Amino acid sequence: MKVVGVLLRIEWLKTVKRRAFWVAVGAFAVFTAIPAVEGVRGARRNPNLSYALPESWPDILGAATGIGPFFAGVLMILLVAPEFTWRTARQNVIDGLSKERFYAGKVMLLAGLVLLFIATAVLIGVGGTLLSPSEGGLGILRPTDLSYMGGLALSLLLVGSAGLMLSVLIRSSGPALGILFLYLIVEEAIIGLISQAGGALRRSAEYFPFNILDQLGDDLAHYPEVLADVNAKRTERGLESWEFLDVEVLAVAALAYSAIFLGAAFLSMRQRDL
Amino acid sequence: MHAIQLFDLTKRYGTSTAKSVLAVDRISFAVEEGQVFGFLGPNGSGKTTTIGMLVGTIKPTGGRFTLLGASGPKGLMAARARVGATLETPNFYPHMSGRDNLLVAAAVKGVGRPRIEECLELVGLSDRAKHRFKTYSLGMKQRLALAATMLNDPELIILDEPANGLDPQGIREIREIIRILADRGKTIFLSSHLLAEVERTCSHFAIIRQGRIVAWGAVAEVVGEGSAVLLRAEDTEALAGAMQTYPEATSVRRTDEGIVATLEADDLASVTRYLAGQGIYLSHLAPYRPSLEEVFIDVTQGAVDSMTEIAS
Repeated sequence: MKVVGVLLRIEWLKTVKRRAFWVAVGAFAVFTAIPAVEGVRGARRNPNLSYALPESWPDILGAATGIGPFFAGVLMILLVAPEFTWRTARQNVIDGLSKERFYAGKVMLLAGLVLLFIATAVLIGVGGTLLSPSEGGLGILRPTDLSYMGGLALSLLLVGSAGLMLSVLIRSSGPALGILFLYLIVEEAIIGLISQAGGALRRSAEYFPFNILDQLGDDLAHYPEVLADVNAKRTERGLESWEFLDVEVLAVAALAYSAIFLGAAFLSMRQRDL
Repeated sequence: MHAIQLFDLTKRYGTSTAKSVLAVDRISFAVEEGQVFGFLGPNGSGKTTTIGMLVGTIKPTGGRFTLLGASGPKGLMAARARVGATLETPNFYPHMSGRDNLLVAAAVKGVGRPRIEECLELVGLSDRAKHRFKTYSLGMKQRLALAATMLNDPELIILDEPANGLDPQGIREIREIIRILADRGKTIFLSSHLLAEVERTCSHFAIIRQGRIVAWGAVAEVVGEGSAVLLRAEDTEALAGAMQTYPEATSVRRTDEGIVATLEADDLASVTRYLAGQGIYLSHLAPYRPSLEEVFIDVTQGAVDSMTEIAS
């Protein structure tokens, strides 16, 4: 446990001095605050527009799932990759941190960012509902809200671990950021090609990392009753129903991708010279 | 007791035979506790790779080594807690102040804040400690690196080119700090290509060339003793030629002062007799004390081109 405390302290000392960290967290807070402010203003103007718990969780978490994962991925790259260009990773190891512990510190940083982003979104959203005149329904948190919050956590973990992997493999923030965004475009293009095909190949596209991310971040995947309503309306209009993978399947896929990304980064960290 | 001991330590970069580079080739030497040891070599000779293996940032591909008597992954990890080291340029977080950088190093080493102030004081950086690292001059960066190595009061200090890029004043300051540390009984392992500095600072040395150790010993033995002689005669060409064929001469080279020959035995009478027999009469014959630079150039011949910086 002492080692965990030491690693957390080291990462804290490094992170709070980075401007990129405060800019990213600040920007994330602003983006998540916009729907909360809109919700409160709307509720004050029009009593029919409610902004209260638990009904407003999809709005509160929706803003965070939209941009949060990319902030997590970019921030991980900005915080980790320069450790290699500045050669401070090497100096940390020379000073007595093993490569494995250096890496463990970065995984703790990722976990810390996931918690921080969720806490920021929840605090801003809940703070907004406290300022709103709307009356909420029964309870504060429903199982479906917890599912959506879990989806946000897994989305942050998925892209954050991809950012950590790219940082450790490429060891330079510019190219790592470039590859992260290039992958988005490439995956989109591949899915576009595959979707013209049929059968198993088409279904496999649903399991691509950023497709998993899209589904995890979509409130309809977590609120089946809302999805049923939406699909009923689409059917009335003669449109195809929307379908999502089960939340359990999405969770397992996101965890599996995160494990692969973190495992690849760990092996690289362990085997390559600094 | 040995502070450092290397046994056939080897590093090969790359796996394919054709493209791989043998950076360090089965080197073996030892550094005793309390020594100030100079590790010399031309650029690209394998100095930094060797130090990288000692400090754990580069994996050896062969051989083994001990640090403060410890070996094996766990033993070396524990031993490194008693070592302070820098590798190549000072490596710090540019946006953080000198003090905050030492705070990170101290957290890694498990050292408290009071020690940070002591080390800043020792290297003369207390006044600039609150300024960002990126605003420091190279000399200040080197001094901050020295402060970081001293945080855990290490028994062994490993410094890679600590005087690199410094002006004479900066070099003098670093030399002074190293002298203070040596006086405190620390073992210092210092890589450098500033030979005059090593000669002034170090008690022992090893020279590495193309990944292999080509000389190793006490500085005093090499530069202060031995049986080298300086000879002058009216015809320097004839003198050099005659000494080349003298059976007791192990090496002969020209210098600005005359011909320097290393003899197997310290028998100057035989030299004069031999040269007189060749019709050469000496105007000057005296024991010669070579500098470390001359020893270096002697043993690294073939790498002389890359030594311009050293010679200058």
